Amino acid sequence: MAAFGQDVVSQDVVSAPSQSTAGATELAVRWDFSSEDNSQFNSHGSVERDQPGPRPPQYPDFETSNTAIRLPGDGSHLRISDAGSSSLFDFGLGDAITLEAWVKVTDLESHEHHVIIGKGRTGNKGFPPDNQNWALRIRRVGGKGAVNFLFATDPRVNQGDHWHRWTSLEAFEPGSGWHHVAVAYRFGQPDSIRGWLDGKRIEGRWDMGGPTSLAPVVDDDDVWIGASQGGLAANSFTGSIDAIAIHRGIVSDEAMKGRFRREGPATIALPEVMPEVGSIQAGQVLLTLHEKLKSHQRWLVEDEKMPDPSLHYDRLDSFFLTRLPIAWDSWGIRDHWEVPIVARFSADVKLPKGNHKLLLRARGLSRLWCNGKLLARTQALTGSPSGEEPITPLPTAVRPGIRWTGYRQQEVIAECTLERAGSQRVVLETIVGGKGHRPDTGELLVAIELEGHQQFQLLSGDPTDGTNVLLTDAAIEPYKKKVEAKMERFDLERRRSLASSQNEYWSGRHAKAQRIATEKLAALARRVGVSNVQDLSIDRFIAEKVDEARELSQSQEGIDASEFQDRIGIVVQKHCSRCHGQRSLGGFQLNDRESILAGGNSGLPGVSPGNLEESEVWRRVNSSDVTERMPPHGEGLNGMELERLKLWIEQGAIWPNTAYSEKNLQFNADLDDASFLRKLSLDTIGVPPSETTVREFLANTSIDKRARAIDLLLDDPRWADHWLPYWQDVLAENPTLINASLNSTGPFRWFLHDALYDDKPFDRWVTELIMMRGNPHTGGSAGFGLAAENDSPFATKSQILAGAFLGIDLQCARCHDSPYHSTTQKDLFSLASMLERKSGTVPKASRVPAAFFEKQKRAALIKATLKPDELVEPNWPFPELLSKDWNAEHEFYPMLKEDSRAGLALMITSPYNERFAKVIVNRIWRRLIGVGIVEPPHDWEGNRPSHPEMLEWLAWEFVHSRYDVKHIERLIFNSKLYQRFARPSSEEQSASTRLFTAPVERRLSAEQILDSMFAVSGSVLDVEELTFDPDGRRAADNRLSLGVPTRAWMFPSLANERDRPSLNLPRAAAVVTVLESFGWNGARQSPRTDRELDPNVLQPGVLANGIVSSWVTRASEGSELSRLALDAKTPDALVESLYLRFLSRKPYAAETQTLIAVLADGFETRVLPADERGSSTLLEPLRKVTWSNHLMPEATTIMMEMERRARLGPPMDKRFSKSWREAYEDVVWCLLNSTEFVWLP
Amino acid sequence: MHRYDNNRRDFLKGSLAAMTAMNSQNIFGSEFDLDSRIRGKAEHVISIWLGGGMGQIDTFDPKRKGDAKGKKAGSYYNSIETAVAGVQVCEHLSRTAAVMDRITVVRSVHHDVIDEHAAATNRMHTGRPIGGTVTYPSFGSIIAHERGAASDEAPPYVLIGYPNVTRGPGFLGAKAGYLYLTDTSQGPAGLSRPDGISPERQKRRESLLRTVQTERAEKRNLDSHKEEEYAETLWQSLKLSGPSFMSGFMLENEPDSLRVAYGGEFGQRCLLARRLIERGVRFLEVGHNLNFLNGSGWDVHNQGIEKQHELIREMDQALSALIIDLEQKKLLDKTLIVITTEFGRPPEFDSGGGRGHQGSAFSCVLAGGGLKHTGAYGETDELSKKIVSKPVSVPDLFATIFATVQVDYRKNLYDGDRPIPVTDNGQPIEELFA
Repeated sequence: MAAFGQDVVSQDVVSAPSQSTAGATELAVRWDFSSEDNSQFNSHGSVERDQPGPRPPQYPDFETSNTAIRLPGDGSHLRISDAGSSSLFDFGLGDAITLEAWVKVTDLESHEHHVIIGKGRTGNKGFPPDNQNWALRIRRVGGKGAVNFLFATDPRVNQGDHWHRWTSLEAFEPGSGWHHVAVAYRFGQPDSIRGWLDGKRIEGRWDMGGPTSLAPVVDDDDVWIGASQGGLAANSFTGSIDAIAIHRGIVSDEAMKGRFRREGPATIALPEVMPEVGSIQAGQVLLTLHEKLKSHQRWLVEDEKMPDPSLHYDRLDSFFLTRLPIAWDSWGIRDHWEVPIVARFSADVKLPKGNHKLLLRARGLSRLWCNGKLLARTQALTGSPSGEEPITPLPTAVRPGIRWTGYRQQEVIAECTLERAGSQRVVLETIVGGKGHRPDTGELLVAIELEGHQQFQLLSGDPTDGTNVLLTDAAIEPYKKKVEAKMERFDLERRRSLASSQNEYWSGRHAKAQRIATEKLAALARRVGVSNVQDLSIDRFIAEKVDEARELSQSQEGIDASEFQDRIGIVVQKHCSRCHGQRSLGGFQLNDRESILAGGNSGLPGVSPGNLEESEVWRRVNSSDVTERMPPHGEGLNGMELERLKLWIEQGAIWPNTAYSEKNLQFNADLDDASFLRKLSLDTIGVPPSETTVREFLANTSIDKRARAIDLLLDDPRWADHWLPYWQDVLAENPTLINASLNSTGPFRWFLHDALYDDKPFDRWVTELIMMRGNPHTGGSAGFGLAAENDSPFATKSQILAGAFLGIDLQCARCHDSPYHSTTQKDLFSLASMLERKSGTVPKASRVPAAFFEKQKRAALIKATLKPDELVEPNWPFPELLSKDWNAEHEFYPMLKEDSRAGLALMITSPYNERFAKVIVNRIWRRLIGVGIVEPPHDWEGNRPSHPEMLEWLAWEFVHSRYDVKHIERLIFNSKLYQRFARPSSEEQSASTRLFTAPVERRLSAEQILDSMFAVSGSVLDVEELTFDPDGRRAADNRLSLGVPTRAWMFPSLANERDRPSLNLPRAAAVVTVLESFGWNGARQSPRTDRELDPNVLQPGVLANGIVSSWVTRASEGSELSRLALDAKTPDALVESLYLRFLSRKPYAAETQTLIAVLADGFETRVLPADERGSSTLLEPLRKVTWSNHLMPEATTIMMEMERRARLGPPMDKRFSKSWREAYEDVVWCLLNSTEFVWLP
Repeated sequence: MHRYDNNRRDFLKGSLAAMTAMNSQNIFGSEFDLDSRIRGKAEHVISIWLGGGMGQIDTFDPKRKGDAKGKKAGSYYNSIETAVAGVQVCEHLSRTAAVMDRITVVRSVHHDVIDEHAAATNRMHTGRPIGGTVTYPSFGSIIAHERGAASDEAPPYVLIGYPNVTRGPGFLGAKAGYLYLTDTSQGPAGLSRPDGISPERQKRRESLLRTVQTERAEKRNLDSHKEEEYAETLWQSLKLSGPSFMSGFMLENEPDSLRVAYGGEFGQRCLLARRLIERGVRFLEVGHNLNFLNGSGWDVHNQGIEKQHELIREMDQALSALIIDLEQKKLLDKTLIVITTEFGRPPEFDSGGGRGHQGSAFSCVLAGGGLKHTGAYGETDELSKKIVSKPVSVPDLFATIFATVQVDYRKNLYDGDRPIPVTDNGQPIEELFA
């Protein structure tokens, strides 16, 4: 060891406690980072010398010019060489060490360990990586800095457990100025460990290898200050260090006590001066957001400054806010704010002279100034425990009739005395969000009560101008809607403006796509013999095929096709067609008579008509040889099936041509106007038309009224609401309110809604989806990228994308090559690697064990062609989908080569990939017509289109329209096909018999049913906020809020896997019960296009008896149904209104008669005189149950009361006589429960 | 719910290529020997779920007494002898102890999920780890799927508890799902009529609806339409919510003495379970999660343990009453009672005097079902921490349940084309089958 700077301080050297030592304590070395010889330190990185250290007056024991070193936390450090064996730095078995230092940590958050000083573990050549003789560090525990001591013993003796770490139980707050930290230890005596913080002895605990009596590793490695492990940033110190000392021996508690002296508080907070904001427009409340504060628990301290504002919001006219504006990324996709954020409100307020009261409600740390004077503060947000928090009491009202304080919003009232009237600058700063907290503001407000008034009103630019909003529910509710609408508008403008940064790229791409489409359309027109592209139409393509079918049908011999189907077809489908229908395993197919006679690779005829002996099929299905038997596994054909097959072969193996029924050859009847409008409305905006809309439409006599209605409804913003659930299912959107489970994703519903609402071209939003942008937990497309509890999320996402947009089913390929398809495991994992931007392997759980194949007695149908650890590179596995012109594509995407994910997005969405456009138009078609041109929509292999030219035409129309879904929908809605009554689907299942002489009947989707229940009855969907963390005290990746839903698609799965009554949202659960009964499933673990549609008793049951039904069929206080009944002139008029609302048509005569009879009874006296009405009873408010307190016993009782209230429903309108109201509600119930309500015309 | 399905029509018209979705072929093959399969005699299952994780050491697998304050590991309560010599249970299970000869506590159940209630709940309902691309069905759904309801008048699967994915049918589809209720006084969601709808009102409603339905059918020729199937289901549903099936939920029809014998809300749930079994329900899950007793239910961390004995006593009363009642009605041999839970709890105490989670050894209970009961099966060490003999994996436990209720525990189910074995290679506990 070099001799330097040993200013021995004699008073430090005292006798160590008798229990741990017999020797004296000797200061080995002390560095004050002031006047020492710089050459002793070998500085690496950017260690700054001569920085201010602890100084008076706060730290009176130091010189006023005391200096320290400052380390940036990037691995920068000082090295001191060891002097060789038995140096002062070497501590072996039986040696005692005391380490001490002054530290000021400026960033504790970025990593867990912050090395102050240590010997060994430097990563130096010639030394093992785990040769720590000793080290003093700061360790982050629970967000605070704990004192930490670390050393290693010989790994050969104590393998795996050779690290010994002691951490103090007490710790200091980050950003709380200079601290003195120290530890002492005698090697070999685990009980000798002790630590000190700020001179005070503190307890601690051993972990990792635990306490040990073994010797530490001692060698000649360096001593490093500020880092270890070769200068690893992740363990390095961020902040300042001063006065490091190393003692040989154990320093006494008494001596340590004298080490630390501080006058005044720990940190020097910056003075709380009202910030300079500059000029503000009169009447305006300016909001600025300042991101990325160091802590949400305190205001700025010295060395910190308020971050520059990331956003100005100038559309507030009072101090009132319910949420922050949305954070967008540079493409206009949902992102996140860097928390903690300061939201700063500033305004110049005209105030009269007098003694006023200011009321502040805020969730987090806040301060409010008026004219430079600090008037009020609230406290910092605290963490949320997992269930055992005492239930928060109800707030108290400071004035009668005042609006309740929001849940866990703090309320403070301050006096504001003004000597004279005039303009006062008022500034509020509040910290929103923080580490582990979502940036939710809650209902944040400042209100004022002017002297002489007994009422608070929101603080605005001029509280005396008469336009002010009182702090009552009646005034705030409508005002809140206005404020939120303004904020939404602002969000939307910013989103669109950011998105427009990508417009140039997309117009270039679309111009090119349009050129290609124009050529393709012209070529198609020539091919089908049409002179003008404009003459192509859906009805033309359909008519052509119907004509052909009629001809074929007339030339057909009298073979009973359906009997064949019932006897033989069904057997073939059940046992053979997976391998010998779509595919031709063994070269054999059973698709028609020709192929079945021809046989397969064996050369033998499959069937020899009339001759069982020579029919290979017959031999194989009867064989007992496991290597030959067909089907290869399972129990095979049963006796009856064998009998039928035998008879059929003996009788000549007749296989009829495609047969069309007479009915199928006939076009179905045209929809009447009312039915058309109902269907169109449900198909565009997801709910039936309003009463007025139906009346106007029926009265309208213009010829183009249907086309106009189509345009109008396609332009309705609710169009997005109706498409949303479709893509949620197909893309397996699966956000969760509690802990993530299998395939949970982020709530990328919001991304989808933005895209659909903004009419983003389809190829563009799919590209943005695949690029997984923005924040996964706030609704960015990055949320699509998540798949919880899944060992290969990217494989799962690839499977979803291939099914959704390419019609390729890769489900089987996860574990093995697809038995019934040509796709392989490698195809799937090549896509996954593209998406992940790196090569990957098949995860362990997705491998078929080798033992499986060994057990098989004959060749297994499945194969796993990937070797277990084979690295799969990013590669496009479907070159056949891209046209030969593909190379020219590169100009579209310069970064294609570097970014395989961008490449994947392009290959999927490119106009050179015709499959993409075809799959999408087929999906649109199928959603509106009930059956696709290709079936099923997610799996095209081996499934040909019923109308190939029409499919092609629609696809190129789609490309030509810049991938505009509405263009395709407009073509369909305007077709005669769409405007016909629907039929059952039987003959539409096969491409050859599918003629589209009528649409296929459809039931309303779960979302349509729910949304319609509310729309037609005029009820307001009123359920809880969808969250278990309403006070935003948890991180977004832990607990989400999905907001207060207004449409069915906004609900998530409420599955209560914990089975705790307290984790229920009773009103939302009632709604989800309706959705689930009709086939909706919020836990979308896998993608799906079709939901279960088979009727079951719970469907009519939930409409007849369910809680939601009782809400919406009730003439409750303030409801639209109640208003309708009051306003009705006659029972006839009332019945007609109800029919127009519920079923979009006028009642039939028999219906009118029956229903009027019920309503006419007591109609004239239906409204009670005021004195007979009885009074409403107000329900007591309930305390709130959240994740934080749900394990408290009262949480269960509160929640059960909430369940009871949900069942109870809204209070009845007491103006009506009971008997008439009940009759009226029964009529409403009847319409809601009619089959017609849930089926499309 | 397939009992209520309408006859399907015309499903098989159309050509071969279109029928790709129809497939029941076993591509993996099953090479099992049919004769070696174990088969019980039971017809019904009542599955009692103890949400939170029942501590075996404080209930069915008691050991030497510990001390929560002194942090000495061991049982919280004293042990008592039972009707089966050598088999002890905790003192709060005295009524169950008297009928222990109708019970087998499987003391050696184990799995590797401890940290997450939802995941462990899933494991104990599906019998396998979450993962891959499959949503697995619950054992209730598998039994409903394989055996259907025991009567045309009843659904196969009823849940008295909260609906969730774990208890659901997974890839088997809604027909293997449950009808649920959360409160015995309410009847099942969707079938019990809301308050205030008198029989007279219901009659008026149905008569109005009949007019509208008739008109609709006349105006549109609905023959062979899906819509018509729905319309038929509508009347079936209204019939089910009528007095005949719903009378099953009217516990007030039981003698007072019996209702008292069953005890509180949980006991009433068990009584309701018996009534529904009688009406043909195949599988019932009864949740014992009335958290107002102690907030956290069986998840007795910290102070949660202080009222654990109340939970145990409530279970004791209901379980013993159920066993005796079923026996008196000659239903016990036909009805398997199962008690399962997420996991057990360790013998040690946490800092608040409660207990953490232990999946490596815990107890589940089988009773009735015509099994050859032995009081207990499998053995743990002196602190119920490690299994020392006859370990029973979750798939084994499931295979035992399936075999008891005559479901082939080795067959494959199909998720589309993909074969999924009923259990993950489970083998029934052979000794329980006479």
